Parts: sequence; structure tokens; C-alpha cells
Amino acid sequence: MANKRNTFLLIWVLTAVGCLFVFLKYASPKIFQVLMAKDHPMPTPSTLMMWYMIMGVLAGLVYATTSNQKFADLLSFLLPGSGPIIKSFLQKMLFVGFPVLVGWFVYTWSIPGAASPVELRIQHPTLPQEFEKLENPFRQKDEETQRKSIEEGKILFQTYCRPCHGSKADGNGPFANSFRLRPINFQDPGTIATVVDNYLFWRIKEGGPGLPSESTPWDSAMPSWKDDLKDDEIWMIIMGEYDTAGVMPRQREKLE
Amino acid sequence: MIKAFKIGLIGSGLIGVCSCFFWLCGEVSAQSSHLFRTYKHEVPQKLQESPEAVAEGKKVYEKRCWYCHGIEGKGDGPASITMFPKPRNFTRNEYKVRSTTFGSVPTDEDLFRIITSGIEGTAMPFWSTISETERWQVIYYVKTFNEQFKKDVAPKLISVVSVTSTPESVKRGQELFKETKCFECHGEDGRGNGPLTVAMQTEWNMPYRARDLTKGWNFKGGNTIEDIYRTISTGFNETPMGSYLEKLSDEDRWHVTHFVKSLAKDMVSDVVVKVKLSEGDQLPSEPSDGNWDKATAVEVPLAGQIIATPRHWAPSVDAIMVKALYNKDEIAFLLEWDDTTNKQEEIFRDAVSLQFPTKIPESLKKPYFAMGDSGGAVNLWSWKAYWHEGFGAVVEAPENESGSVSELNAKGFKNVTVQPLESQNVTGKGIYQNGRWKVVLKRALKTEDVKGDMQFEIGKLIPVAFAVWDGSNSDVGGQKSVSSWYYVSLEKPVPKTVFAYVLIAIIMGASVEMWFIARLRRFPPKLEEE
Repeated sequence: MANKRNTFLLIWVLTAVGCLFVFLKYASPKIFQVLMAKDHPMPTPSTLMMWYMIMGVLAGLVYATTSNQKFADLLSFLLPGSGPIIKSFLQKMLFVGFPVLVGWFVYTWSIPGAASPVELRIQHPTLPQEFEKLENPFRQKDEETQRKSIEEGKILFQTYCRPCHGSKADGNGPFANSFRLRPINFQDPGTIATVVDNYLFWRIKEGGPGLPSESTPWDSAMPSWKDDLKDDEIWMIIMGEYDTAGVMPRQREKLE
Repeated sequence: MIKAFKIGLIGSGLIGVCSCFFWLCGEVSAQSSHLFRTYKHEVPQKLQESPEAVAEGKKVYEKRCWYCHGIEGKGDGPASITMFPKPRNFTRNEYKVRSTTFGSVPTDEDLFRIITSGIEGTAMPFWSTISETERWQVIYYVKTFNEQFKKDVAPKLISVVSVTSTPESVKRGQELFKETKCFECHGEDGRGNGPLTVAMQTEWNMPYRARDLTKGWNFKGGNTIEDIYRTISTGFNETPMGSYLEKLSDEDRWHVTHFVKSLAKDMVSDVVVKVKLSEGDQLPSEPSDGNWDKATAVEVPLAGQIIATPRHWAPSVDAIMVKALYNKDEIAFLLEWDDTTNKQEEIFRDAVSLQFPTKIPESLKKPYFAMGDSGGAVNLWSWKAYWHEGFGAVVEAPENESGSVSELNAKGFKNVTVQPLESQNVTGKGIYQNGRWKVVLKRALKTEDVKGDMQFEIGKLIPVAFAVWDGSNSDVGGQKSVSSWYYVSLEKPVPKTVFAYVLIAIIMGASVEMWFIARLRRFPPKLEEE
């Protein structure tokens, strides 16, 4: 007949799942903060967390069903019977807790929540044809001219681009916080290192307003510099920008 | 039997758990103040100072530093024209963040800390990205610009032994803040609006700006109590912020520190300004109305307007606080920002504006954030401090005048029109108190001008952008502080039916549970062997 053993397997499984949740929600952000040397905690992404939790619960159930003995232990916790006072207390907690939890979930689902904005960004619109043919007048010159253009370009970069893109071209200028689509970090190997000089020329000259309508929605705060900087100055900025960021532009493929 | 149970349990467990954790994990944490740097205090083992190190430091300096600080270290580099505050002049002893007595040069470690962390609110970046060796080398080179480093070999250090804050200490600090006349520069509420500071200028005609002590993120060298105590004790060389080492006892300096720390706040920012439904008949029209306490505040960092000429490189307003409430007819916004004076001139006037698209965007595409574009018009609600021609050159905005409100439309900077009189339906009021403007702007949710006005809808995400002008900083027209797009969302009230759903859910949960237990009792799990 009924199992006379009094094991707390069900409680242990529930505790383990609870511990996993606490770990993912509170401990892991702190751990990653230390490991990755950040100034702020690194919250676990919600989808990742959901999958870990599902796996945690499944692991608990798999463990509890590895033998009929264990499974019987798991379920027998819910049966009345002799046992320490704590058992009947936990039983009552479970009995009340389950419907309350269900009610709480339904409540949080059905209250109207504030929508959070979805903001996509197309990273890489195609370079318009009229910019494709242009040639950076400094890139192929002798070393002395190149050095001069880099130096001039760095001065211009530090004057006009630095407030947003930062002294180190790392996208951390003093104004950077104010633009929700943050200024680009040019040191990131996925940014200016993957495009040719002309691409930068186009972006600096035309700015956010010059982005093609196919690549909407864009929220770029990049100004258009065509009225304020001469073409040569823009090319110099490009020379200086690559040097400051410590990366090289992509080389054009030579057609045979 | 057991097998059926197993399958049933695992199945229902899976479904339950999936849905539960969707909710639990899906909470979006509010964006907090990770925008600003944390000053690092630890300094590694020093590199030996040598002529070779100085020579190497010169190379680093001429690769990274001179654009701002100048090739001769005079703080006049070519890029300094777009900077305020100006870069440090290394030929003078104007070092601010030091652990040494007033007038002394900083220690090498002081310089290392600032080079590593940079300074918030200025152009100085954090150079933790270059090697420690390079940082020491450049320090030794920078020291060669000023002879005082050779004379002051062993400057007197100020030790910091932390004292924990207590409410009594904060209270005593507040009294000392008055007695020691800190408020003459920092203002009664610590907003940097004291009567002295607004009148003072350096010998190079640059304005001195006393620190706004309520903006915790802008404290030079950090905002821990140790940092604040250090600044009070050492003072900032070549500024009106002197040393209080002798004027105040050690104990008193800690009291002032704790008071100052109690003023310093973090910036609490969010992308969406949540607008609560106000139960009363009337929305507050006074900025000081107590009902504003019910609204959630969002702070938005602002930058100079650098999109179109004339670009504004040196804005004085770097943040605005927004609150909003609505009822069945109207919506009201409260906008607050710190400004050291309320002085107005004919064209240079303190002002604020709210910008909305003319209609709620259906796709993700919004008008251009800076005054819209030809494809997307914007609706602007603008408030300006009161001024009229008889006033003379510079006047303080009169207290009994609450400013003027106008409604505009724009399709780009060059295409701005003021709406005709019959379409002007925004009302507003602004007051200036202790270094802070507080402006209320209010309008009906729906208007007749459906083409030119934003028509508010409950539950939708409505883009909003902000702009602030500081007249005393010569802000006018395009010379302003701006934000990119944020959102307002009018929260739906919780319908009563929700509680019925909850009740049903609890009853259902309980019945499933009882059925399960009843079944378990009737067919208790059998054991194969004992």
C-alpha cells in the first residue's frame, strides 16, 4: 500500500529549480560583471533564461523519474501520513501556494503593460553609385603626403567628430549618451574596417539624412557635412579616423 | 498507472513552466545610470622616472594628447575650440583632482588615476585602453611642462580616513554649508546657482561654473564620500573652489561631505515616459502641484545641437526631467531642468520645447529627430521665458509672468511655421526656483487641427524629443541642447474584469490541484520492492 518512507524529494526538486532561478537572475549578472571587468552587472538575456529554466525543470523531472522508487517518493510527499511537523507545514504551503501562483501569473498577463519600442537598424546600406567611382586622393600618395593628411585629418576629427565619436574613435564622446542610437565605435573590427574609404566619404558627406529610403527605419544622428567641409577635408578626416581607430579600410578587389 | 502519471506530469509541467518563465524572465529592467563612468582608485606599481621614460612619454603625448592639450601643453590644441570646459593647461598648476594641499602639484598617482578614468562631463576620455607603462611615461612628460613639479618634490598629502554618514551628520553638514558660505557659489539647493558664481569670470574671460551638486554623475574625480572629502580638503587649484582644510575641522569636513553626498543623485533614465491616468477632474497646471508626485519621472541626457550649422559645441544644459499625467480630456507635461540663472535678453531667452510627429507613426519610420524632414512633419510645443521690449538689456524673468507658449510645425530646420491663432491650443506655465526651471505644458488629447497636431491615443508608443535653450549661454535658434527620440505611452487603466480572471484562475488552479491529490490518494504510487 502507501509508501511509508518520508522523503522530501519534491521539495528538493523545487528548491533546486528555485536556486537556479536566483542564480540566473541575481548571481550570474554579478559574476559576469567581475569576469568581464564591467562597471555594471550583466543581466541574463530573458530568452536564454527561459531556456535554462525549462532545462532545469526538465532535469528535475528526469531525475525524479529515473526509478519508480524515486517517482513514488516524489509523489508520496503529497499524501497524508505521519511525518515531521515540517512536512505537513510544507504540504499546506504547497496546497495554498500553487493556486496563488496561478492567480498571480494570470494577473500579470492580463493587466495592460506598456509596450516597449522595437528599434531595428539596417547596418549596411549599399554605397550609392555616384560614390563608388571616387578615389581617396591621399591613399595612394607618397609617405610624406600621407603622413601630413593623417595629421591634418586627426585635427579635424578631434575638432568635429570627437564630441560624439570620442577622442579615441571609440564612440564614447561626451555627447554620446544623448543619442539613443549610440555613435559608432570605429575601433570595433565590424565597422569601418569592413568598408572602403568611399563608404565613409558618403556617410560623412550625406550623414543620416542622406541614407536611402530602402534602409529605413534609421535613427542615425550623423550630421551631413557637405555644407561645412570641403571634399579634401573629408578625405583627410577619413585618413585620420582610420589612424586614430587603429584599423585599415577594406581594399578594393582588383578586377582582372 | 505510474507511467501514465509520469507522462502527464512531465507534459503539464512543461507547459506550465514555459508559460511561467516567460513571465518571470520577461521583465525588462529599467535603464539606469550605466551611462556614466566609475572612477577607478587603485594605482599599480610605478614605473621608474627616467629621461628615457620622458622621451617615450613625448611620443605618446604627440600621438594622443596634443590635439586638445596643445603641442606645448598650454591647453590650446587645435581641437580645443569645440570644447567646454577647456583642456587643462599643463604649464600652469591648475590641477583639480589631487591628494595634495591647495596650491601644490598633484602626485604621480593622482595623475595616473585621472588619465585612467578621464573626467565625466568633459572631453577627457578614459585612457585605461593604453598600457600602464605608456600612462606612466606620458605623466613624466606632462610634468616637464611645469617647473613646479621639480621644486615641489614632496607635496604634503591629505589622508582620507572614512567616516560613516549619519542623519545628524548630514544635518550638521547642511548648517555648515550655510555658515561656510558654500551656497554663495553652489546655491541653496546645491544647483550651482549661487549669487557669486554667476558673476565670476576667470582672467581669461571664461565663466566659472560651480558644480551642480545634485548631478552626482558630474562630480570631478568621483562622487564617493572619499572623493568629496578630498575635494573639500584640497580644493581645486586656480579656481574659486578653495581648500577647507584649515577653515573647517576634520569632523566638520566630514559633515559637509555627507550633506553634499545626500544632494548628489543618479540620472534615472528610461526610453519610455509612462503617463499615468489621473483620477481627479483637473490635471495640474501649476509646476509645484502636489499631484506631480504621482507621475513617474524620467531623466533624459541632452547634447549640443550638432546636426546643422550653426552647431552648438558647448551646451550648458545636459539633462531634462520629464513627468506626464493624463485624464479623459487632456495631457499635461512637467519639464524640469537646472539653469544657473533666469537672466533673459531680447533674443537669448530660456526656453524648452517638446517635439512630436504630427501623427503616430504606423511603421517604425519616424520623422527626422531634429525638426523633422520633408517626408515627416513634426509638431512642436514651445515655451519661452517672459521678456518684453521695455525691459532693457538683461533682465531676470519676472516672477509673476509665466512665459509664453506657442505651437509650431516643422518639416526640417528651414521649414518652420507658427500655427495660426485658432490652432494654438497648448497652455503652459513656467517658474524659476533655486536654480531650476519648472514648466508645465498642457493640451487636449485630441484637437481639431488633425493635420498639424499630435492626436494622443491610449496604449500607443508616441515618439517625443526635447530641446532646451539657456539664454545666459547665448542659446538661440539652432543653438540649443537636444535629445534624440524617446517615447510617451499613455497607460491603460487596469480593467475590473482582470480580477474576475484572477479569481477564476485561482479556482481552476485549486480544482486541478485537488483532483490531482484525490487521484493520488486513491491510487497511491506502488513500490516494486521495499
